[in-house]
Amino acid sequence: MTWLTADREDASLDDLLAHRPELQVKYRAFYGSIREAGLVPPRLLEICRLRMAAIHDCEAEWSQRDAEVELTEAELAALRRGELKGFAPAEQAALVVTERLPYQHHELTDAEVASLKFRLGDAGCVSLINALVLFDVNCRLKLAFDLKQ
Amino acid sequence: MSTEPRVASAVAGQPASFPTVLAHTPDTTGKFFDLYAEFWQRGVASLTVKEMTRMRNARVTDCAF
Repeated sequence: MTWLTADREDASLDDLLAHRPELQVKYRAFYGSIREAGLVPPRLLEICRLRMAAIHDCEAEWSQRDAEVELTEAELAALRRGELKGFAPAEQAALVVTERLPYQHHELTDAEVASLKFRLGDAGCVSLINALVLFDVNCRLKLAFDLKQ
Repeated sequence: MSTEPRVASAVAGQPASFPTVLAHTPDTTGKFFDLYAEFWQRGVASLTVKEMTRMRNARVTDCAF
């Protein structure tokens, strides 16, 4: 049962944030702005989001899908296991940084960030890391409040 | 941990810092600060509690900045 929305078994993160409507609106706007900026391809955002969900073992986040991004079963299985070699070089660079952020942020190296900048540029790199931080937060919120979606 | 900024400042004449690096994505950054201000300026949790948790989080994540 969800901690703050006991009347709904299937409460989502958005339902939770609705306890603070002004916060909900600004959270949505921040989240949406990363996609709207167009600095990082949707597929890249989606694979990083799913890898973050797998790192946290967060089924609520893993069960969500971007309808515009098609991933094969093999890719999904690889993201679950953290196997990067089947992905394109830019995707691998982004997934390496994804791997670091939740629990290994001090182990992130200059070379790993440089690799990301080489492929996405400064603005793309900043945009992606903003996205990763939000994906991390989403997982933590969903797990902390035992949300199902 | 790097001893030099990994991404250059997006603001001419200013060194790399949290806001000047985020300025590479101005729209997203503006919305981040809108959200952050909402955390701090409104809500039922006291500023004392918010500041204590912010400082504790900085310790837990070993973030000296």
